[in-house]
Amino acid sequence: MKITAKPLPSVELPELRQVGKPLRRVDALSKTVGATLYAGDYYPTNLLYGKVFRSTIPHGKIRRLDVSQARALEGVACVLTAGDLPRAVLVTDMPGQTGQKRRSGSDAQVLATDTVRFIGEPIALVAAETEALAEQALRLIEIEYDPLPAVFDPLEAMQPGAPQIYPPDNVVARWRIRKGDVAAGMAAADVIVENTFSVPYQEHAYLEPEAGVSWVDERGVINIRVCTQVVEHFRSISLALGVPQNKLRIQGTMVGGGFGGKEDITVEIFLGLLAKATGRPVRLAFSREESILAHSKRHPYVITHRTGVTRDGHITAAEVKVISNSGAYVYLSPYVLLYSTGMAVGPYRVENVSVSSASVATNNPFTSAFRGFGAPQVCVAYEQQMDEIARAIGMDPYELRRRNFIHKGDLTIHGQELTSAAWLEETTTRAVAALGDPTPDWGSFKVGQGFASYMQSYGRITWLHDTSQAWVGLEMDGTATIRAGVPDLGAGQISALAQIVSEVLGVAMKDITIYHTDSAVTPLSGTSTATRQLYMSGNATLQAATAIRKNLLERASRYFEELPEAIDLADARAFVKGHPEQSLRLAELVAMCASEGLPLANLAMFKAPFTGPIDPETGQGQIWPDFTFGAQAVEVAVDTETGEILLLKSAACHDVGRAINPAAVEGQIQGGSSQGLGYALMEDLAVEQGRIKAGSLSEYLIPTACDFPETQVIILESGTGVGPFGAKGIGEPSFTPAPGAVANAVANALGVRIHELPLTPDRVLAALDKTGKRSG
Amino acid sequence: MLPEFDFLTPNSLAEALAWLAQRAGDAAPVAGGTNIVPDLRSGRHAPKALVDLSRLAELKGIRREDGYVVAGGGVTIAELLGSPLVRSSARPLFEAARLFANPLIRNRATLAGNLADASPAADSAPPLLALDAEVELVSQAGTRRVSLVEFFTGVRRTVRRTDEILAAVRWPVPEPEAAFGYTKLGLRRADAISVVSAAVCLVPAPDGACSRARIALGSVAPVPMRARAAEAFLTGRPLSAETIAEAARMAAGEASPISDLRATSGYRKRVAEVIVRRLLAEAARTPQPQES
Repeated sequence: MKITAKPLPSVELPELRQVGKPLRRVDALSKTVGATLYAGDYYPTNLLYGKVFRSTIPHGKIRRLDVSQARALEGVACVLTAGDLPRAVLVTDMPGQTGQKRRSGSDAQVLATDTVRFIGEPIALVAAETEALAEQALRLIEIEYDPLPAVFDPLEAMQPGAPQIYPPDNVVARWRIRKGDVAAGMAAADVIVENTFSVPYQEHAYLEPEAGVSWVDERGVINIRVCTQVVEHFRSISLALGVPQNKLRIQGTMVGGGFGGKEDITVEIFLGLLAKATGRPVRLAFSREESILAHSKRHPYVITHRTGVTRDGHITAAEVKVISNSGAYVYLSPYVLLYSTGMAVGPYRVENVSVSSASVATNNPFTSAFRGFGAPQVCVAYEQQMDEIARAIGMDPYELRRRNFIHKGDLTIHGQELTSAAWLEETTTRAVAALGDPTPDWGSFKVGQGFASYMQSYGRITWLHDTSQAWVGLEMDGTATIRAGVPDLGAGQISALAQIVSEVLGVAMKDITIYHTDSAVTPLSGTSTATRQLYMSGNATLQAATAIRKNLLERASRYFEELPEAIDLADARAFVKGHPEQSLRLAELVAMCASEGLPLANLAMFKAPFTGPIDPETGQGQIWPDFTFGAQAVEVAVDTETGEILLLKSAACHDVGRAINPAAVEGQIQGGSSQGLGYALMEDLAVEQGRIKAGSLSEYLIPTACDFPETQVIILESGTGVGPFGAKGIGEPSFTPAPGAVANAVANALGVRIHELPLTPDRVLAALDKTGKRSG
Repeated sequence: MLPEFDFLTPNSLAEALAWLAQRAGDAAPVAGGTNIVPDLRSGRHAPKALVDLSRLAELKGIRREDGYVVAGGGVTIAELLGSPLVRSSARPLFEAARLFANPLIRNRATLAGNLADASPAADSAPPLLALDAEVELVSQAGTRRVSLVEFFTGVRRTVRRTDEILAAVRWPVPEPEAAFGYTKLGLRRADAISVVSAAVCLVPAPDGACSRARIALGSVAPVPMRARAAEAFLTGRPLSAETIAEAARMAAGEASPISDLRATSGYRKRVAEVIVRRLLAEAARTPQPQES
């Protein structure tokens, strides 16, 4: 591929002092020296240890459950089963209006009442004086099942006569997009290209398995100190515990990685139930193996594309069928499926399109949120399909894309107008050009290059009516405090807020203290999901800081006898622009404001666009606030004798709107890239008959530093995002193009496509055997 | 969680042997613990006592002795990597040590532990088989030497009695003209259990024919194995591409791999042939550098 970078449109970004600089993150030092306490690091006195008793079969009725021996064991404080709970089901829907009626019975069970539907489903809870006693108590629990027929394949689960998890057809969610005239579009095509692609499970594999401690305080409030992406779960936890919402407090810790795996409730309800039942502090921490068994996974998909195209590369129609495996419970499957549906054809303008999608229940581990939320799976499919279309009509793969890229002002397939820059050509050409000339083939190695372009939303679904709040205040010595209920997953979520305050108020980063992630004492900022925190809480923080700035400038304008616009704040001083000798220490200005009763603190709420639901028949309407655009390109060498794939080069280019902290942005892109490359090349949960075979980190292999070269990161800034200072979101989008780029590079190397990820050596050799292209 | 067990900390090899003899059958030796601790956690092993060998000076050190290199059983994988003697006189073992698990495990895991655990995928086994190593088994009854080929008897089974300690591994200092090769194929490039591994040793005759060949394979049979038929076939033959290809085919034919999470048996057989061919071709082409 020979591509030169497309020149960038001229963009004038305002000159800023703090924003846009790779400043050291506020959490960096304490994490580096090991001072940060994570959820598993708290051991209050008088502690009990919790454990979970789980199902060992994929589907069955509980004929007999006897916990009497466990209860009788000395040192066991309590054993809870479904019958002991105030409420047996866990409400797993997103807060707010969903636009989709939930199926009755689709909520997960807190503890199994009489039926288990997957291996690992919780059945009973134990709290004991020591961890060893708690484990011993688990072994004393007696259970007998009447196994029920189970179904593991979503296509089989949809067939008549299949075992029913959710009657009548096991389908837990459907979406459809109907736009234009697909039949006419296909008729106008010179060539119709049809392919089916499948993508597997993925395990989040964060460093920190789920953990927490709980206790009841002197107010009667149940406190749960836990690693979570969502402090707002305190509402559904209180429901499950049968206590008022103001008697349940989540104290979120720094999170050792989330990636969507800590978006659903994990240990929280168990902790709350055990603390409530015993009146004592309880600790519950999953081992790695239990973590893999207990939390959600990325949805496997089967995606079929049928695309009509003219000889000159114009896409005339697209028909896409999308099936996801929801596992035994619904969780966020309908929303993940919506992302897949809306993004099904990728960043291309297609006038005639039909997308039909379904999420299907099986007796497998349940699936829910995972970085990208359904967008990466469809990117793997639509970008391979684009390469296959290019091959079918003999056109350069980039040229085909260029002719069909969507632009600012165009409507997506769901009828949403693109309102920010859509730098697809700018990002794609840069990612591809960064690879340079292909490395020549050597020995049994064949080299290939490939790329994937994408668009992906940031911010929550707009009919969920998302809001975020942040509080900013100045102290009398000129230091600042931020309070925001933001969970920090390690991506720099809270540090970005400090950087914004530092910019607006002229307070150094070191002079800013942040209290975060507490449902009782920090204003609720919403979830650290959907690539929304910088967009939502960044804007809320910017609003709060700007309100304080306004007061400071007004007071300073009287002091300097200048207009407020002539005054600026930096380096802990207020000064007249262009006349730095006319200046005042910020602390003095704060004192002046305080003596006049001018507010030095502000609680702001930022609201995303509020829309109604999309049309259920056509899928038309706004779904997201805005989109990020970008591309990744990789070069691989495939050993045609062993099937091994070496990643030689990788380059990613994303328009992030404005990089608040470029070092943090690069970190996100490196991490997203590695996670995406791992998904394409090695990660394999090996789920057979509902059982995870790769149930530990010695079997479930994620990439190490030795496996991939560093991804070259190219950050573009169009300044057109809806986040603070024109920022777009990058946390999830950084993952999305990586796996499809690898699949295309491998197909380019081999001259044959493998339609299924991961691209294991076995599959490579099998594909070569089929074409007779194996060397040696 | 770990079950309860006695943890015995002898101060000498003699004391350790006494403990093992006294509690024969319900005590297991432990050094780095990188195999036995996960086994205890999973319940696969349940000894009543562990005898800690990690502090015994008698099991440490790598030295030359009467034409042999002798490595104490308590030598860690990291110590193998730091040893000039291993680098110069056991090149495939050095290469295997580099690819062994990860730095943390390499700091704890010992040579004896890797061999005595007798996993078909034990990383140090194929190199030591190619070096024609033997192990020293010590008990209160005395010391016996067993060739490594005969040491392994099945998956996780060896000839070691429960009262014996694998005190040392010995291999002859290779002839200067001997050439070696080692490859480990895993599903990632570090910290991975091998899918197939192989080590070869070729000693060429002055006329370019093969005067001696050893071909060792890991993860393709119940035990780390030597491909005896392929070795016999090579011996005395010129090291041509055709001969090497045939030997590699024979070596793969001697393997009896299983299918597991990491690979199918068919894949293992097929790739065993590829890597043996490559290693033999490489060894036949280039005399092994003695230092690097």
